[in-house]
Amino acid sequence: MADAVLFEFLHTEMVAELWAHDPDPGPGVSAEPRGEEPGAATGQNMNLSVLESVGFRVGQALGERLPREMLAFREELDVLKFLCKDLWLAIFQKQMDSLRTNHQGTYVLQDNSFPLLLPMAAGLQYLEEAPKFLAFTCGLLRGALCTLGIESVVTASVAALPGCKFQVVIQNS
Amino acid sequence: MAENIKRVRRLEPCSDNCPHLYLFDQNEVCLHQSKWHHKKQAEIPKEEDYKLMYSMLFSIRLFVSKISQLDMKNSFLAFHISKTKLHYYEMATGIKVAMNTDLGMGPIGDVLYHIYSALYEELVVKNTLCSLGQAVQSELFHSRLDSYVHSLPFFSACAG
Repeated sequence: MADAVLFEFLHTEMVAELWAHDPDPGPGVSAEPRGEEPGAATGQNMNLSVLESVGFRVGQALGERLPREMLAFREELDVLKFLCKDLWLAIFQKQMDSLRTNHQGTYVLQDNSFPLLLPMAAGLQYLEEAPKFLAFTCGLLRGALCTLGIESVVTASVAALPGCKFQVVIQNS
Repeated sequence: MAENIKRVRRLEPCSDNCPHLYLFDQNEVCLHQSKWHHKKQAEIPKEEDYKLMYSMLFSIRLFVSKISQLDMKNSFLAFHISKTKLHYYEMATGIKVAMNTDLGMGPIGDVLYHIYSALYEELVVKNTLCSLGQAVQSELFHSRLDSYVHSLPFFSACAG
């Protein structure tokens, strides 16, 4: 079992590399909202989607690997519970803090101390930078669900570091 | 030179036993400095203060390695003047931690190492948003460091 730190460092490097950032922002200086530049917004979305699709591929593989001794999941909620417990434990060595649902295919998974945000801040410092560090994990959840036969859209939001929420919306085809 | 020596004398801490802490990296950059007291600050500008401190530590280390009989890399641990003792710890990477306490303190290498490993490494090195090699901006680092130093047994003696 590889040390957790390896994944953390690799992840931060992926974010830095795949997220075409300003060449040289100082520490604590958030990225300027670059809405003025034409094409900047699409560029940002595209960069997030690269990270997200990397996570998707990893999530797919983990979805195949992890539920070894389990029988087929009976319902959606079991699958989501599996994500909160086993998947999170495998990647972050902890379980998700809470899982809420409206019973109409929308789930909110909350982690009050998300490991990838943990070293950064406790509060609002670096809040603008946080979404980049969640894209990979959104893809991870989407990929694992996809393998288990559930099409979904996963988004993340941060109100204050290091907590974050992942919203999973199941696509009923 | 004489002027420099006069300046160094003024570097004496304002209070007998209030900790000051300096973190330097290998290129003479002061990563962090905290002073826990409410006394008047020295009139030296900060940059100069750092420079003096760094050159003092550097010279002492050089001096110690020159005069010691055995070849010991980390032989400079602490020195004391009339009322305070300055503890020093240098990592393999060249990060230097210096902290002063009152005279009675034994070696506090473990404290200085904890500041480096549990605080600097965890909250600065692991945080990509903090660029290495310049003063630490992370608020989390500052607050954690503050509460850690406040929890130390010898801090309670501080008149701050």
